[in-house]
Amino acid sequence: MIAVQQADFDAGQLIRELHERSQGQAGAVASFVGYVRDYSASQPTQELFLEHYPGMCEQELADIAQQAMQRWDIVQSTIVHRVGALSRQQQIVFVGIASAHRGDAFAACEYIMDALKTRAPFWKRETLADGKAFWVQARSSDEQRLEKWTQQQDAAAQTRIPEQE
Amino acid sequence: MINILYFARIAELTGKRTEQRALPAPVTVNAWLAQLHEAYPALKDIGVLKVAVNKKHAQADTVIHDRDEVAIFEPVTGG
Repeated sequence: MIAVQQADFDAGQLIRELHERSQGQAGAVASFVGYVRDYSASQPTQELFLEHYPGMCEQELADIAQQAMQRWDIVQSTIVHRVGALSRQQQIVFVGIASAHRGDAFAACEYIMDALKTRAPFWKRETLADGKAFWVQARSSDEQRLEKWTQQQDAAAQTRIPEQE
Repeated sequence: MINILYFARIAELTGKRTEQRALPAPVTVNAWLAQLHEAYPALKDIGVLKVAVNKKHAQADTVIHDRDEVAIFEPVTGG
């Protein structure tokens, strides 16, 4: 299930619904919630505005979820991302993975967040308590986190080659 | 004509969220971005410009055709 919405979400309810959709096949549900935090150490964040590209966001999230399904043993997944004006400490994003086993659930949940951070077309505009506003700049550490998954996949593919021969 | 969408800081720098521009012949993303920089000199302040064609991330050599939807934005910062 994928949703891009202004409205807040109830993470507990999303987890229950995710587990119900997995119809007894999931022994594990791993979830992640991202929140609005203070961007600067010197002063609190007043507002975080999330702009997005309607249509492409949903497509990218569906594509990321599909890639996770192909790579790990996943029964069901849920991705909810909020847009619009959010205030300090509010929820931004939810990712939930239902799987037979915890290893796949943890890994897929982390992968989806890492991929979302560098691929899904959302942009954050911070307004600090003193009124100063700016567009948040992407961090190279996010790209590096995603590359880590590609490297792991390459390494796994290489170790499989002798088995095929 | 192609339909262009500007997002976030790029929309602020161009002063537009959407516009239509003529595309006499298919061009690569790289060549088209060079034209866009001529139209909007303010874009020179942007370190990395990303392009999506028809709602898919494009590469420098992706070809833009007539009637495509082309989106311009900075690297994404969601999550």
